Amino acid sequence: MSEAPASKPVLTLREVAEQAGVPPARLRRWVAQGLIPQYKGEWTPEAAAHARVVARMRERGHSLREIRQAADEGRLAFAYVEDLFHPTDTFVTLAEAARETGLEPALIERISTSLGLRSAHAERLSEDEVQLLRYIAAVLAAGFPLVAMLQLVRVYGQALAQIADAEVRLFHLYVHEPLMHEEVSGLEIAEQMENLARELLPLASPVMDQVHQRFLQHFIEQDVVGHMESDLDGAAEGLGRMRVAVAFADLAGYTRLTEEAGELEALDAVERFVEAVEITLPDEARVIKTIGDEVMVVGSDASTLTDWAVGFQSMQTDRPLPRIGIHYGHAIYRDGDYYGRDINIAARVAARSAGGEVLVTKSVVEHAGSHLEFDRIAEVRLKGFNEPTEIFLARIPELE
Amino acid sequence: MTEFKSESEFREVMDRTFALMSEDPDMGPKLRDADTPQRFEFTDVDLVVNIRAGGPEEPNLSWVWTDDIDWEPKVRMTMSSATANRYFQGKENIAIAIARRRIKAAGDVKAALAILPITKTLFPRYRAMIAADYPHLEG
Repeated sequence: MSEAPASKPVLTLREVAEQAGVPPARLRRWVAQGLIPQYKGEWTPEAAAHARVVARMRERGHSLREIRQAADEGRLAFAYVEDLFHPTDTFVTLAEAARETGLEPALIERISTSLGLRSAHAERLSEDEVQLLRYIAAVLAAGFPLVAMLQLVRVYGQALAQIADAEVRLFHLYVHEPLMHEEVSGLEIAEQMENLARELLPLASPVMDQVHQRFLQHFIEQDVVGHMESDLDGAAEGLGRMRVAVAFADLAGYTRLTEEAGELEALDAVERFVEAVEITLPDEARVIKTIGDEVMVVGSDASTLTDWAVGFQSMQTDRPLPRIGIHYGHAIYRDGDYYGRDINIAARVAARSAGGEVLVTKSVVEHAGSHLEFDRIAEVRLKGFNEPTEIFLARIPELE
Repeated sequence: MTEFKSESEFREVMDRTFALMSEDPDMGPKLRDADTPQRFEFTDVDLVVNIRAGGPEEPNLSWVWTDDIDWEPKVRMTMSSATANRYFQGKENIAIAIARRRIKAAGDVKAALAILPITKTLFPRYRAMIAADYPHLEG
């Protein structure tokens, strides 16, 4: 026999009104007008969540008729999932948080902005946020430099915001919208989504933790190799600067493909391309970012990255063919990305290449192995650069 | 340098490797579904194997050490036995091996790319197999 579900806590009218930021009388009016269908004589968490949604929609200028229609169609159902996050009701002031953590108020504000905390725009912090600041203070106290910590915090904020955005968008596209198309009632949609989210949410953190641990292990190994090789080179690049091989790759004729074959087919081609790059890359290189059909790859070894690019091109059999440009030089590492003149050169070289080609600069040729051949194409003036750059076509030598 | 002791040892190791792939409850059905017929030529030991998805009542993979087949492989790979050993240990990057001419690939190589992620789980199992039974092939 299954257990009876635990009864949900009932809130008072005043509590719900406070949460929604509206007077109790307005809440009563909304109930009377049928705007809170979850209200059945008492304020359950679902009814309170819906009241908050209605208040938010009103603030954004939507009419009561529009809100009622959206609720009937289940378009507001995602809002109830918010209820699973148990918002805290314990807050401290910025000054108190500073005293508690030993961090300067200005630094707390900076960290909060980077991490997208609510306190970035408010004078008070929740207990959870203070705990987060305690962790950061402990990292700094352990000797991790502030300049590096601020960058790390920004990367955490950006990466996790992207993850959360993807979770919500994919849930919306693959759960919420199909439910709406099934024409079930708004209440039923809300209930189904809340149940699913209740099961999925606790899984997100352990999954991310596992993936993070694996990547951490991988990059520590790569860093050890990189350190050894740079020591052997006797390179002293300066703080935040490093020597890297940079490749930009994209699909030649992607815009035309989009026009001719349609957006979905073009997007499929991009997904297959990015996946092929990821699964074939050598261990010492990684995808830094993708922008549309363009992929930026950074590696520590120009020879290996060029070999990969040439090998990757020879594995391509159908259009649109990738085009790849590689340069070897110095880059500034900041906020999880690479910047500088040499990065720009790599991007410009890639823009010069045609489908199926790997174009490289002289610094790549000088560091490449003997198993490839490099045909000098020309000395060209890359867009935005005054000095000309020598460009070579990298290829596998033809068999005699 | 790690080398197979003989042509028959190489064939034995490859047979066991293909069987690992075919019988693996995760990898086997996925490889069957991918249905990418491949021909491998191992130059130094002068062996050819053709491998494809098994029929309805057969194991997930079916392979024959001959070119005497009545179907066309989709992908053709040529390599030495040492490269094959390194590849199955997860130590040979296929794109780099092609550029360095350790692997020659022809046909629908993109189809071979598509099954790469499926076969990655084989590497630790292959390493365990050679550590237990063919330690001279490690490294």
